[in-house]
Amino acid sequence: MSKTILEVIDLKKHFAHRKGLLSFGEPHRSIPAVDGVSFYLKENETVGLVGESGCGKTTIGRTILRLEKPTSGRIIFDGTDITALDTGELRKLRGKMQMIFQDLDAALNPKMRIREILNEAITVHHELTDADVDKRIAELLEQVNLKRSKLSNFPHELSGGEKRRVGVARVLSVGAQFLVADEPTSALDVSIQAQVVNLLRDLQKQLGLSFLFISHDLRVVELVSHKVAVMYLGKIVEMGLSGRIANKASHPYTHILWSSLVEKQSREAGKKATSVQAGRWGVFDFERPLEGCRFAPRCPVFESKGRPDICTSAASEPVLREIAGGHQVACHFPL
Amino acid sequence: MKSYTQISGEIGEFSDLPFWKKADAIDIVYVSYGLLIVTLVVVSYIFGAFNFLPFDPEDIDLELMMAGPFTGKHLFGTDFMGRDMLSRLIVGIQAYFLPGLLAIFIALFFGTVLGVLAGYRGGRFDTGITYFTNLVDSFPRLVLILLVIAAFKPDIYYIMIVVGITNVPAVASHIKGKILFLKQKNFIEADIALGLPTRTIILKHILWHNCRSILIIQATLGMGEAILMETSLSYLGFGVQEPTPSWGNMVQAGSNYFMKGQFWPSTAPSLAILFTILGFHLLGDGLNNILEGKRNK
Amino acid sequence: MTAPLLKIEDLRTYFYSKSKQAFIRSVDNVNLEIGKGETLGVVGESGSGKSITALSVMGLLSAGPGVITGRIGFKSDRVQKNLLQDIGDFVKLTMMDGKVMAVQKDEDGWQELSEHRMSNLRGKEISMIFQNPKQSMNPFMTVGRQITEAIQLHTEHKSEQAAKERALEWLDRVKIDTPRLRFDNHPYGLSGGMCQRAMIAMALSCEPSLLIADEPTTGLDATIQSKIVDLLAELKAELGITTMLISHDISIISRLSDTVAVMYGGTVVETGPAKAILAKNEDLKHPYTAALLISIPSSENIKGKGNLQAIEGDVLDTINIPAGCRFYGRCNRVTDKIKEKCERQEPDLRDISPGHKARCWLYFD
Ligand SMILES: Nc1ncnc2c1ncn2[C@@H]1O[C@H](COP(=O)(O)OP(=O)(O)OP(=O)(O)O)[C@@H](O)[C@H]1O
Ligand SMILES: Nc1ncnc2c1ncn2[C@@H]1O[C@H](COP(=O)(O)OP(=O)(O)OP(=O)(O)O)[C@@H](O)[C@H]1O
Ligand code: SF4
Ligand code: SF4
Ligand SMILES: [Mg+2]
Ligand SMILES: [Mg+2]
Repeated sequence: MSKTILEVIDLKKHFAHRKGLLSFGEPHRSIPAVDGVSFYLKENETVGLVGESGCGKTTIGRTILRLEKPTSGRIIFDGTDITALDTGELRKLRGKMQMIFQDLDAALNPKMRIREILNEAITVHHELTDADVDKRIAELLEQVNLKRSKLSNFPHELSGGEKRRVGVARVLSVGAQFLVADEPTSALDVSIQAQVVNLLRDLQKQLGLSFLFISHDLRVVELVSHKVAVMYLGKIVEMGLSGRIANKASHPYTHILWSSLVEKQSREAGKKATSVQAGRWGVFDFERPLEGCRFAPRCPVFESKGRPDICTSAASEPVLREIAGGHQVACHFPL
Repeated sequence: MKSYTQISGEIGEFSDLPFWKKADAIDIVYVSYGLLIVTLVVVSYIFGAFNFLPFDPEDIDLELMMAGPFTGKHLFGTDFMGRDMLSRLIVGIQAYFLPGLLAIFIALFFGTVLGVLAGYRGGRFDTGITYFTNLVDSFPRLVLILLVIAAFKPDIYYIMIVVGITNVPAVASHIKGKILFLKQKNFIEADIALGLPTRTIILKHILWHNCRSILIIQATLGMGEAILMETSLSYLGFGVQEPTPSWGNMVQAGSNYFMKGQFWPSTAPSLAILFTILGFHLLGDGLNNILEGKRNK
Repeated sequence: MTAPLLKIEDLRTYFYSKSKQAFIRSVDNVNLEIGKGETLGVVGESGSGKSITALSVMGLLSAGPGVITGRIGFKSDRVQKNLLQDIGDFVKLTMMDGKVMAVQKDEDGWQELSEHRMSNLRGKEISMIFQNPKQSMNPFMTVGRQITEAIQLHTEHKSEQAAKERALEWLDRVKIDTPRLRFDNHPYGLSGGMCQRAMIAMALSCEPSLLIADEPTTGLDATIQSKIVDLLAELKAELGITTMLISHDISIISRLSDTVAVMYGGTVVETGPAKAILAKNEDLKHPYTAALLISIPSSENIKGKGNLQAIEGDVLDTINIPAGCRFYGRCNRVTDKIKEKCERQEPDLRDISPGHKARCWLYFD
């Protein structure tokens, strides 16, 4: 049994909601972007994180890396509690955990050439001679399949895919054991997507890396992850082995999520199939519920059971419970 | 009409050109002119400081008053008391050079520190700094200078400290604005995630890579402004006092004779002021274009 | 095929790398056609010039020399124009061996003309959804304000109230949750996906005749993706919007497109009916297209957790465009017979079956 590298316990991150830049005096509402999330990650393992956009996936990643201070909860990395580290200790930690950012331009200083960007990343945690740095750069370029001639370019001169590859190269160069990959394959063409996926998996085999893999591409998530966690409005609603989540989903949301993919595929085959459940999936103008099951306003099961109180009352909020080996779901009426 | 040409011949790996070969011709001209002026000023300053001059600038020669250029050994002629113009012009640099640097230093240093605190740390720092800069901005500069002159003595260093301080808000707001803009692009966060020390992020990524041109422009503008301030005050009689020469009091002294058809004694220092200020401005502009790699339309 | 709404011919858009003293041939001889009411799917390697083609149509290129040759015919019910008319008067080319080696362009003059020409088209007749929504929105204005302004500027809904109603309606239509709350958000307060949808709402709110969607669904989860896809299909059916859809997601392309263009290295290598090009087991295809389709994760891949099949070799360097076929060197279908040709001479885009063109020596002798 390999050892646990990351454990997140009841993590919460609430943002203050401001209407505009100059709205003092108004009552503050907070957005519970992450609202009590717990999971763990083993060495050499990939956990996929999926969910609606805006449900707090990126925020979890950023909080684990301590780019954001958690509102409450604990993060244990490699046996040490990193929830309350000071700046100096955090810096050392960053040699061990890294993040591939969702926003393509995020990692790249617009005024620095690619060579300089990579050079800096390589030397930040390791002392190397110039020759070694050059060798390492060549190695990285090969790993991410980037032309050498792009080294002297500025980030704005690269296409989306090229920028992503520089971002991956930059993160690899640090030599971290744990990576948060925030949509590493979005905005890439399928063949480069395949390269990135293969690359990340090869690196995992070679270096024993662990990934928290955030993505909207369910097929890719299913392919790369050992376990998958499904989030909805700041909470994990279902978690389990990737094959089970994809094929034996128990939470209504997970089910809808995967069936919308299947639906797309069946359309490809020329059939015009409309799933009964997805047909109800049209409600969007609703207030975010702050208690009870967050999914209730859109839940087809909730509708068909005649809107039971158990789903909406604060006292009986569904919590994650085991329904089969390693498969957990937070729903009163699992499918 | 802009033209672009690909170097023909073997298409292989293209190597990087040094930055001066990539620059537009006009920028090269600007920068060359600016550098020429700056070199002249610095060299003249050193000559003046070591008294390495053709004539004693305060030596009166009543035989040879108001001589035009190239009269005898007086390359730039003499003034209304027969003093050598060239020597006086050179020594006149003493009046603004070090004080000007002091003003620039104050403006850039404090402006940068406050700008970084306000932009990078934000929050309460930002509020406090905004109050401070608004306070400084709300006093007209000339009033402050006159107050200082009245309270202490008409010393150019005091004046330049005031000039420096009154420039702090401008620099601070430029730097802060730039940092806020950069935060939108949020590579700063990626730097933090990479584990770069805050020092490197602020000094290298923010200040060196992205604020360099702001600082250069502010420095060159600052020098131009210092020259203008010094010469105006000396012209008004608040700055450097006769017989010590300054370009300002030279213009003032010469202007009495301007109406009588004696142009040279006031024109020479005026031209010196004009060309020097122009030089600093063009240097800043040209360097900005070359370093930034683009021309602001 | 109906009469084309947009017809791009011989479009070349270059950039210039000062430090290398060489052209970046981002778009090099692109020919495309979109029929009225149809959807053209554009796929291809990243860096192949898809976004730059789109930006060329919008007249939104910032760096020089930009567009240097071509014709972009635009023919809607209200407007008929060649967007690149008279470009020849502003550009002087020096060619060598059929390659552009020097360009002289009166950029300011062209910019002025093009701005003038595009001013009553952009946003109204042609609108675009950008690849990077966070950076395409004004960070200092609320999302709602930006959409309302666009509506007031380009449509009949001039009054503040009516425009706001429309804006909310569109925000709702693109499935942003709690539109009334999000209306007052600044872009930084939105997640990546929400920003994307706000951007789509902004582009669609003016009901343009041509919509250019540059990866409209990247960063959205599957349910919203399928909603956006439905939305685009609905718009096509109801309003007859013509769409140029750039995407890496082949399933979306195949669902929405009538015709498909495959780009590689700055040029179109294959174009034709979506069915013929995207069918998995069809042989008549450009080798690049075939390789691209194979790299999509299939169910067998997912089940067996096998590695994906990526295309071997380096991506094409748009500075050093080779003399022969651009895919040569990565192509696995070169035969001894055509090897020589592949290496030396670029194939042109020719019919391989009616309405289906490809740029490959395999198909002609
Ligand atoms: N700095 C912030 N200030 C206020 N609210 C924020 C901030 N960052 C994120 N949020 C809010 O937190 C919620 C979660 O955002 P997050 O970026 O984590 O979503 P996500 O799951 O990564 O979505 P996507 O898939 O679209 O990237 C959103 O509602 C967002 O508006
Ligand atoms: N302003 C610019 N200056 C120089 N080169 C540029 C500039 N903009 C784009 N390029 C180059 O043009 C080529 C095509 O870029 P483009 O953005 O069109 O690619 P794309 O097909 O949209 O790729 P992706 O799918 O990754 O978005 C790239 O190689 C890129 O490096
Ligand atoms: S707890 Fe009730 S409302 Fe929530 S997902 Fe389950 S059935 Fe639906
Ligand atoms: S022309 Fe030759 S190299 Fe190019 S795609 Fe066809 S077979 Fe391959
Ligand atoms: Mg995200
Ligand atoms: Mg693109």
